[in-house]
Amino acid sequence: MKKHVALGVSGLAALALLATGCAGSSTSSESSTAAASESAAASTEASGGAAPECSGTIAVMAPLTGGAASIGQEQLNFAKLAVDDFNTANGSMYKVFESDTQLDAGQASTQSTAIASDTAIIGVVGPAGSQEVSAVGPTFKDAGIGYVSASATNPDLTNGSNPGFFRVVPTDAVQGPTDADYIATTLGAKNVVVIEEKTDYGKGIASSVSEALTAAGVNVTSIPVAESKKSYDDIIAKVADDTDVVFVTFQVAAKSQQVAQSLVKAGKKAVVFGSDGSFSADFKTPGAYVSAFAPDINGIPAAAAVAEAFTAKYGKFGTFGPPTYVAAQTILQAAQRACTTSGASADRAGVLAELPNTNIAGSILGGDIKFDAKGDVDGAKFYIFKIDEAGTAVTVQ
Amino acid sequence: MEYFLEQLVNGVIFGGVYALIALGYTLIYGVLQFLNLAHGEVYMMGAFFGFFTMTALGGPSMSILPVPLMILLMFVVAMGGSALLGIGIERFAYRPLRRSSRLAPLISALGVSLFLQSAALLLFSSKVRLYDSNLFLNMQSGISFFGVMIDIAEIMVVVGAIGLMVVLWFLVNRTNLGRAMRAVAVDQDAAVMNGIDVDRTVVWTFGIASALAGAAGVMSGLLLYPVDQYIGVFAGLKGFTAAVLGGIGSIPGAMLGGFLLGITEAMVTAYLNPTYSDFLAFFILVIVLLVRPRGLLGRPALVKV
Repeated sequence: MKKHVALGVSGLAALALLATGCAGSSTSSESSTAAASESAAASTEASGGAAPECSGTIAVMAPLTGGAASIGQEQLNFAKLAVDDFNTANGSMYKVFESDTQLDAGQASTQSTAIASDTAIIGVVGPAGSQEVSAVGPTFKDAGIGYVSASATNPDLTNGSNPGFFRVVPTDAVQGPTDADYIATTLGAKNVVVIEEKTDYGKGIASSVSEALTAAGVNVTSIPVAESKKSYDDIIAKVADDTDVVFVTFQVAAKSQQVAQSLVKAGKKAVVFGSDGSFSADFKTPGAYVSAFAPDINGIPAAAAVAEAFTAKYGKFGTFGPPTYVAAQTILQAAQRACTTSGASADRAGVLAELPNTNIAGSILGGDIKFDAKGDVDGAKFYIFKIDEAGTAVTVQ
Repeated sequence: MEYFLEQLVNGVIFGGVYALIALGYTLIYGVLQFLNLAHGEVYMMGAFFGFFTMTALGGPSMSILPVPLMILLMFVVAMGGSALLGIGIERFAYRPLRRSSRLAPLISALGVSLFLQSAALLLFSSKVRLYDSNLFLNMQSGISFFGVMIDIAEIMVVVGAIGLMVVLWFLVNRTNLGRAMRAVAVDQDAAVMNGIDVDRTVVWTFGIASALAGAAGVMSGLLLYPVDQYIGVFAGLKGFTAAVLGGIGSIPGAMLGGFLLGITEAMVTAYLNPTYSDFLAFFILVIVLLVRPRGLLGRPALVKV
């Protein structure tokens, strides 16, 4: 009996390890969407014609579990939809490999090693966070993998230290001045507190927005916080009563909501303004602001079919998913071009060589997608939303 | 001065949560000389139990019951659920290893910890939950302490933590169950020879310690801390640090350690760099282990020679 119980305990522990360890899993893309979107048709044109034998696996690195899982799941589902649409339009056989990074640099690094060792993977969508991109950079450089992020916005990522890295969203060098201009000009703020979470992402956006605010004559106070912090009452106690705006740099929207609630609790008048990491339904305090690197695609005609297909299959979405659709398109098109040129399914080198030639005309984000020499997208801009009484983010700029 | 007092109050409130977690650690260690490393995850599950009780009763803004009754039920369900969970963990993961080496139950505890995190992920999804207690508690009412407003949730945490410590102290020192716990702590074989049911005593110990963790989970939710499957990791480490700081095995020590840790964190945030607060908590743990291994109120261990 004792032996059986001991075995049971061992099994319990083994199950726990398995459950936490099996973060990555390969899945074929689920059934194709009923109608391939206009966007997919555009993909066909850009890829240079159908090549039915073209296939390959694309890894999607996203926070599928953890505090940012709602974002990660949305990214994964949009990537799956992009692959489905592309396969339907081109008769290709591309597949998705799911890689859970939990928005953690260490986890992303571990996952990147697994991806690098799997030669079936020809390109990567992601990772989501700037700190994760820094973590996977050396591995992907050695493996010769091209990777396209749909949400990493730290400007330093494209300074040449991460060859093979591209992104379809603007950088914090754009976000900082955009947010600062809105805070200083439209909101008329004189005193701003910047809560700087000590991550690559938090440091990047805090620095960018602080510089722009200072240049605009706004008095800026910076408060650094650790990523592991659970309560912000002590931080809010440091916010002076005459503060107009508290700018937060979290990557988990629930933390921004917590700060907003703590401010109300403390009876302070400051409005919370969240960077793009806060763009989620979890951040719902009326009157707060949040910026995003992508527009609400529901108002973009070129995105109508994709938005409808996604909503029918997966439900509501925010601003993190649509850029992931576009990021997946860039990899798929590059693979298809390489496949068409060589007459055989593309390998990593083929995809990497084709990525700089990306040209998606009339993307679902409302503009064309082309990369500059560094791997940044040309002409991208940030958008600003205000949270209404129902807790919904409404575009204000 | 008001700023100092505001941060002092914040520290006492953080400390109240740490103290409740530390009480669970210290109770189990005191009786079994065993570190229940899954205790933080029981706290996490307690926070979830409280959250789902609240949503089952209509949610934060549309409760079908009067708010005090809803909060009471949240505590009852969280403490009861956590107690049952703790008893289950003891029965299946620790009891079979009670007579084995000290390392075996420790490894089992680590496995249980990971298992509970994964179970929470599967059962409750990875979505971060907020109690949104500002929707059902008037956070701008409460009592004024030298000009510093202490809201209802904060009062509940401090009064609840101290109240539960007093109840626990009374239970351990003034009841038959408490005498049985102390007897088991001294010598399990001798306790059996004196007619004490060791298994039953240990079950009660785990049940009570886990119920305290469940109460801490609800309290942290009411304080607007986010709830997800990983909150137990740091909370458990902080609770453990508080227990060691106060003297593991000592009930007043766990309370003292919790409050000291919370106040230290708040003061570091207030006057040094907020990013150092976690570092300092664990630095204190290292210093205490080096300088005073038995903690502030711990007794020297007697070793049979």
